[in-house]
Amino acid sequence: MKLPIADAATTRAYTVALLRKHRRPLAVMVVLQTVAAVAGLAGPWVLGRLVDAVAAGTDARYVDTMIAVGVVAVLAQTVLTRYGQRLSMVFGELVFAELREEFIERVTSLPLSTVERAGTGDLVARTTNDVNKLQHAVRFGVPRVIVAVVQITLTVVASVLLSPAVAVAMFVGVPVLLLVLRWYLRRATAAYLRESASYAVLNGTITESVEGARTADALSLGERRYGRVKDDLAEAFAAERATLNLRTVLFPGIDLTFVLAPVAVLLWGGWLATQGQVSLGVVTTLVMYSYQLTGPVWELIFWVDEIQVAATSLARIVGVQLVEPDRQAAAGEAHGRPPRDERVEARSLRYAYREGHDVLHGIDLDLAPGERLAVVGPSGAGKSTLGRMLAGIHPPTGGTVTVGGVPLVDLPLDELRGHVALVTQEHHVFVGTVADNLLLARPEADDSELERALRAVDAWDWVSALPEGLRTEVGSGGAALTPAQAQQVALARLVLLDPRTLVLDEATSLLDPRAARHLERSLSAVLEGRTVVAIAHRLHTAHDADRVAVVDDGRITEIGPHDELVAAGGDYAALWRSWQHDA
Amino acid sequence: MRSSLPVDDLPREQGGHELGTPPLGGPGAYLWWLARRQWLTILGAVALGIVMFACQAVLPFLTGRAVDDGLEQGFGPELWRAAAGILVLGLVSAGASAVGHRFDVMNWLRAAFTSAQLVGRTSARAGHAITAELPTGEVVSAVANDAFRVGELYAVLARFVGSIAAYVIAAVLMLQVSVPLGLVVLLGLPVVAAVLGLLVRPLQRRQAAQREASGRLTTLGADTVSGLRILRGIGGEGVFNARYREQSQLVRAKGVAVATPQSWLDALRVLLPGLFVVALVWLGAHMAIDGQITPGQLVSTYGYAAFLGWPVQNATEMLQAATRAHVGATKVVAVLRVVPSTGATPATAATPPPHVPLVDTVSGTTLEPGRVVALVSADPDESAAIATRMGRFDDVAEAATPVLLGGVPLAELDKADVRERIVVSEATPHIFSGVLGAELATRGELDERALLEAIRLADAHDVLDSVPDGLAGELPEKGRSLSGGQRQRVALARALLADPEILVLVEPTSAVDAHTEARIAARLVEHRRGRSTLVVTASPLVLDHVDEVQLVRDGVVVARGTHEELLSGAVAPEHRLAYRDVVGRHLDDEAPDDADSELAFDELLEHEESGTTTRGGRA
Repeated sequence: MKLPIADAATTRAYTVALLRKHRRPLAVMVVLQTVAAVAGLAGPWVLGRLVDAVAAGTDARYVDTMIAVGVVAVLAQTVLTRYGQRLSMVFGELVFAELREEFIERVTSLPLSTVERAGTGDLVARTTNDVNKLQHAVRFGVPRVIVAVVQITLTVVASVLLSPAVAVAMFVGVPVLLLVLRWYLRRATAAYLRESASYAVLNGTITESVEGARTADALSLGERRYGRVKDDLAEAFAAERATLNLRTVLFPGIDLTFVLAPVAVLLWGGWLATQGQVSLGVVTTLVMYSYQLTGPVWELIFWVDEIQVAATSLARIVGVQLVEPDRQAAAGEAHGRPPRDERVEARSLRYAYREGHDVLHGIDLDLAPGERLAVVGPSGAGKSTLGRMLAGIHPPTGGTVTVGGVPLVDLPLDELRGHVALVTQEHHVFVGTVADNLLLARPEADDSELERALRAVDAWDWVSALPEGLRTEVGSGGAALTPAQAQQVALARLVLLDPRTLVLDEATSLLDPRAARHLERSLSAVLEGRTVVAIAHRLHTAHDADRVAVVDDGRITEIGPHDELVAAGGDYAALWRSWQHDA
Repeated sequence: MRSSLPVDDLPREQGGHELGTPPLGGPGAYLWWLARRQWLTILGAVALGIVMFACQAVLPFLTGRAVDDGLEQGFGPELWRAAAGILVLGLVSAGASAVGHRFDVMNWLRAAFTSAQLVGRTSARAGHAITAELPTGEVVSAVANDAFRVGELYAVLARFVGSIAAYVIAAVLMLQVSVPLGLVVLLGLPVVAAVLGLLVRPLQRRQAAQREASGRLTTLGADTVSGLRILRGIGGEGVFNARYREQSQLVRAKGVAVATPQSWLDALRVLLPGLFVVALVWLGAHMAIDGQITPGQLVSTYGYAAFLGWPVQNATEMLQAATRAHVGATKVVAVLRVVPSTGATPATAATPPPHVPLVDTVSGTTLEPGRVVALVSADPDESAAIATRMGRFDDVAEAATPVLLGGVPLAELDKADVRERIVVSEATPHIFSGVLGAELATRGELDERALLEAIRLADAHDVLDSVPDGLAGELPEKGRSLSGGQRQRVALARALLADPEILVLVEPTSAVDAHTEARIAARLVEHRRGRSTLVVTASPLVLDHVDEVQLVRDGVVVARGTHEELLSGAVAPEHRLAYRDVVGRHLDDEAPDDADSELAFDELLEHEESGTTTRGGRA
């Protein structure tokens, strides 16, 4: 299942709402740019008046007066441009910052099941590429479009006011322009999207080649990787050629309009002038206006293009807001009812990732406060899914998980994490310092608490050996942590969070077995009194636990203390013996 | 598509299929090499650029003529002629501009894609030297940004030359009209452009500051998404949102800081040319009153003052493009200079015949032909390092620790031969994106039966269910949709399918559960029986099946025998306890009658406290 993309109507409604919210600065911007554009029309007008005046015979006084008008116009346009542009940019920054912050807030509250089904790739692309594409349009596009539209409108209006009869000739090329534009704009968005997608693929291929350089070397995959680069370049080239072909039609189409306009004005105006209907100065002004229109029209077309592309990005960004939340704090009577104790209970628990394909088939499980339960079983048996249900990450498809009588999915997230938290084998390190990574769990913790948490997971030695200790930058672009170190950081975070119940899903799997066991022991000393559910493939974890649950094919097939299960001679006993071997 | 290089599709290509070897002496030599490879396209673009700009340069002159004709003769053949001239020039210019744009883009793409392809070739062939010498971001950026900066130079070249032509033509025409007016325009405009150019500098610094802050914000956003599952598990969303908002507001503040100088610059772009044109018109109008020039010539002068801003702007752009291309070429060349970590020099020894021993001289680890051997060490990093050496990954770093194949150092052999005969699968191998079946078959296409057999050996059937469409389905980057255990088993199946004469596996089953490990161990060893195989592991499930175990202590093999023999002390009794400590999964509190073991556990604790207890770093 993919993440939704907003349809045109939703995207438009969102844009309108956004613009309406900021209508006041928008109005000021339009006014400033309009007045600036009026001042910009003075040049050709002055020139036209001078041509007439010189032809009719005039004196230096008149010239100087007209020139003074020109100077005033230039000064006015300068000042207005200064304030108009600044306001536009400040406005763009404001709107865009608001937009991206709102978006990230949405992203971090997305239901995890949706993210997992859609894959993180799509979401990362929306967070980076789409936000960046939109940024260009919002910060530069919107102001430029306003300026261009105002300039075009005013130039046309001024031309018509000067001489409607001559101005008609300016539009002789417009039908051609409209046809070409229509043809182009219908095809451009898809073509440019293909182009940027092809570059994203190319960059991905290069990234993979570099990150997997050793593996590629070991398996002699160099030529295959190089072949992939060539394929990607071929696709990028084909995409570039497609957009180039579009422009090969568009450019002459626009050029033609602006070749025809002055010629038509000149001929038509010239004829009208011989008839004495207009002065040659007016014709001159209009010829200059028709040249002067070229710039804003090109700019407008360029931005319409860009804004079309940005609109597809906006549709993807707005689309994220369409995801239904999968949990909401219970309203009304149940709201605010605190769990009466820390007993976690699962009743007839079912879960299906795909409809009709249950991964868990009605599990019942009671966790006594302070108990340590190990969950073992073959891959794909549903252990991790069970762990997530117990941590309240996913709402179950059927049945309930409660803490102190309150369903986990009814607890607000903040509150939930005080009761149950989950650490998986995923070893992502966040960008920032080691301390930043830990403080996610408890922002107010001080350094000594951080140290204590790191010691509890055997990580203080290497953290204190880092160049700047807790303040060392890690994550993408910083010092690289091994997967095992990343797991220790994740566990230290959990120690800081200190929930009443912890679910550890293979949380030490990337450490070597002896280090893992040592860590688990020092951790359990710190977690004294906390309920721990440990999903593990290493049986010493099971051995050290109070109870062991064997999960197979979505059911708990055996549950009880290690010794009892071994004595019972069932699956667990067989597993234990094979694992123990004769060592 | 695979058969032809993209650059060969370019027009007027001289038919060269070889990418060739660029000079790496410096950015200048590299840029010149690129230019020579596409000189014909460049020539075409320049010719069209000159035509277009020449037409444009004559237009204001004709417009002025038309005004004069209209004034003098009214509407007649003269005006028709002038209008026809403007029309023809405009059409020629539009045509040259459209075709010229195609040439410009081709020039741009050819230079950019050649650079990108060269970087792709280097990164695919350099082995780990590429990551050792450059951060991943630099290499990606060389393709994503620097290659295109290089290309830009060739795209603006034609416009630059055309602009010079336009300037010369305009100069000739204007000086004919009036020497003082002409000089004011020709000298005044570059001065205005230079002043504007100087003002850009402080702006660029602030823009760079904002770009940097914005880049960090993007990283932060991507980071949030990648770590979303972790955030959800512990509830760090609020902290993260606050962190993002803070950076977002910083970017905004920097953007606002850019806005002030930017708006001044925009204003000056109105003011300076505006005042310049007004001054010119003032001068021209006075001359027109005095009869020194005609009203039409006044119009031409105005037209030139407006038009010539364009060529001057193109010249500034060329200057910027050249600077950027120089920077880009420097970075591209830096990537291309990376020397492959192995096989940079040709082989000096003949490849030994098949079925010879592979020996790591420093540790004494020996893999006799046809044996399945396990390498055991208390320090997993140590045994992994030995195994890695046996694959020859870095000729320079491994110079002091030679590994001999049939008595010949690996470093002296042909690299392709070594790779053909020896395959090392490291502890956390990379899984590439692509069709699952094809990613498994690294040595060319295999039939489905072979693939399924390898999947059975690695007990990876569940992977076929996780990847939509199974063998024909797409694996995402880094095999992200798979669990850690699944990735490990995919990598194992891939290594088995390479089916080399000598196979070295580092911790192939460290992330799988005991059930699965037991199955893999039996199948794996049975499959490789009779063919040289070295497995780095401490798992008794695997050790029980292999032909021989070699125990490493302090970097040297101290004992060898079967798992049984080493456990019982039948061979090397002095190492019995050490061996049991490494491979034993028995539990200290479970064997009260075995005092040795209890003692050993304490030793183990000491050992762990004194050193690092983690693993997984690059050997």
